[in-house]
Amino acid sequence: MYAYNQYDQALVDQRVDQYRDQTRRYLAGEIPEDEFRILRLMNGLYIQRLAPMLRVAIPYGLMKSEQLRTMAEISRVYDKGYGHFTTRQNMQFNWPTLESVPDILADLAKVQMHAIQTSGACIRNTTTDPFAGVSADEIEDTRPWCELIRQWSSLHPEFAYLPRKFKIAVSGSASDRAASQVHDVGLHLYRNDAGEVGFEVLVGGGLGRTPVIGKTVKKFLEPQELLSYLEAVLRVYNLNGRRDNKYKARIKILVNALGVDTFGEMVEAEWEQLKGGELRLPWSEIDRVKGFFTGPDYLAVEHAQNDLADAFAQHPQFATWYRQNTRDHKQDGYRIVVVALKNQLQAPGDVSHQQMDGMAALADEFSFGELRSTHDQNLVLADVAQRDLLALWSKLQDIDLARANVGTLTDMINCPGLDFCSLANAETLVLSRQINETFDDMDYQYDIGDIQLKISGCINACGHHHVGHIGVLGVEKGGKQVYQFTLGGSANEDASLGKTLGRSIEQDQVVVVIGQILDVYVELRQTDETFLQLVRRVGFAPFKERVYGTHQRSAA
Amino acid sequence: MALIKDQQLSLEHAATPELRFADWLSDGSNNADAVLANGDDDLPSLFTNASKLSMIALEFDTFADGRGFSMARMLRRAGFQGEIRAVGDVAMDRIDFMQRVGFNAFELRDDQDVTQVLSKFGEVTVHFQPSADGNGPAYMA
Ligand code: SF4
Repeated sequence: MYAYNQYDQALVDQRVDQYRDQTRRYLAGEIPEDEFRILRLMNGLYIQRLAPMLRVAIPYGLMKSEQLRTMAEISRVYDKGYGHFTTRQNMQFNWPTLESVPDILADLAKVQMHAIQTSGACIRNTTTDPFAGVSADEIEDTRPWCELIRQWSSLHPEFAYLPRKFKIAVSGSASDRAASQVHDVGLHLYRNDAGEVGFEVLVGGGLGRTPVIGKTVKKFLEPQELLSYLEAVLRVYNLNGRRDNKYKARIKILVNALGVDTFGEMVEAEWEQLKGGELRLPWSEIDRVKGFFTGPDYLAVEHAQNDLADAFAQHPQFATWYRQNTRDHKQDGYRIVVVALKNQLQAPGDVSHQQMDGMAALADEFSFGELRSTHDQNLVLADVAQRDLLALWSKLQDIDLARANVGTLTDMINCPGLDFCSLANAETLVLSRQINETFDDMDYQYDIGDIQLKISGCINACGHHHVGHIGVLGVEKGGKQVYQFTLGGSANEDASLGKTLGRSIEQDQVVVVIGQILDVYVELRQTDETFLQLVRRVGFAPFKERVYGTHQRSAA
Repeated sequence: MALIKDQQLSLEHAATPELRFADWLSDGSNNADAVLANGDDDLPSLFTNASKLSMIALEFDTFADGRGFSMARMLRRAGFQGEIRAVGDVAMDRIDFMQRVGFNAFELRDDQDVTQVLSKFGEVTVHFQPSADGNGPAYMA
């Protein structure tokens, strides 16, 4: 993975000093509250319901084992011994004190990490496919491009006070595992008819109270002009995005108001002035960055592979885990291992300090010392030799991370909700607990198959409920927490927004309703039909009938 | 009210103009060469008329309004070599970014400590993107 040079290191070190001074002046009463709010947000520090929350950047989800160990240590020293992986591949600490943040940042800087631009109205961490560089279906590795975007966007002087936050996601294979169609800018690396690799640029996707699927603004962008084009998009947005209403300030509102064609013309006009200029990336620089992502020294297939038939026979649970939690690797003899952070006892995405240390050790032992975080709040060991899988699986059991539920109902996305978030309307973590208790039969989950359940505690949609196959949104009605269901959403290559099923459901009925929805699926599915396919085929009527049937009849 | 210009306390300087760019533009006979502008102005005509001006003061109504950053950058790109003065919410914590995008003068509030503000230039010396200060990205060095 990318390693800092003297420039990167100087930037984060100086940034720590700068933030330390800002914190000192704030505590001394020299910076007004409003001003400091913006400054601390640009450094990932929120003030939540109970305590501050610090969000640490994990650029495009890639970590070294020593970085994860440092985060474990930070959670012990400054927090309550755990951390939380977010849907944008970052790490959150829920209990640091405001005064300790400069020290945390200094510890992070020692292992080439920071919290720069993890919140605030600026360009956020760029996210990507957690299988970048290793998946069998990849067109081109997205990581070098993410790194180039990271550098360009870091402390960009012009775009620190945008109308609103700005998120970029990059996908480089036919399967979109980066939710790129629901980002402010989505970039798709692909090969055009002439055989050249370049970017399709989508703009104006997003969730929140106005969910929108991104629209294509440029069909093919020559890769050397990636940064000049992004700069043009950001400049048009910075000058024209609405600033009078924070709910209308995202780029999606601007794109919708102007129409994507007009917006695209404005970008082209600005880009005319930029392309071919200083922002044009020389191949020497592209190749230098690509040089950091050449892949590890894989063993020859005859050494990496062994016959797993015996192991499967002896350990049926291992066989299940292999089927459910590992994926094809482009390198023969290797597997991609997804480690689900979705056990019965912890909130989705939460990891204890022991688990962080444990995962760091397993990365060192089995996956070249690297890990990745994923959009669906799991971890990935990307390069595991097949012969090591059994040993890895048994060691994952020691740290409660061997649950074989990737892609199933309990592999849900869940925002922190009312337990932590000051914007929440409703609790969400109680739902994941109830769901785990009610649907604890793994064979049932396997029978249901691929399903994405996504839960948000308010309309800001951090839990991405609009793009869940089943989405659950917490709302407040008459002082009560109730939940709205949506069905049929997807964040993948077939992206779509879910539609509301009907009126809201009381908290203790949520698992009942999920059960009813799944019953309808089991009764109506055809051979090999997934839940999402079924919803798209049969529509909402049978689900409505099951969930609201009696009430609707009596109302009619 | 103090003014910092070209990274020094400026003792002699023109007053901040009160004439708005929109009024300057609509009054064809106006031969003033300093105007006050902000993100609500007609930007293409600001850029094309900039060569007739010697000073453009860009207003920051609120700390969060970042349009002036792009305006300064584009004015420099259009070849404007006069003074670009930041007025309004000019906090010291963004003065370095302002200078990088093309501002060369900063109007301070009375409660702002000039020495402390001056120390904020170049607080972060590494840059990863070209900007109006002529410094290219670090990797091109
Ligand atoms: S969706 Fe709402 S409740 Fe959940 S984390 Fe986001 S803002 Fe907070």
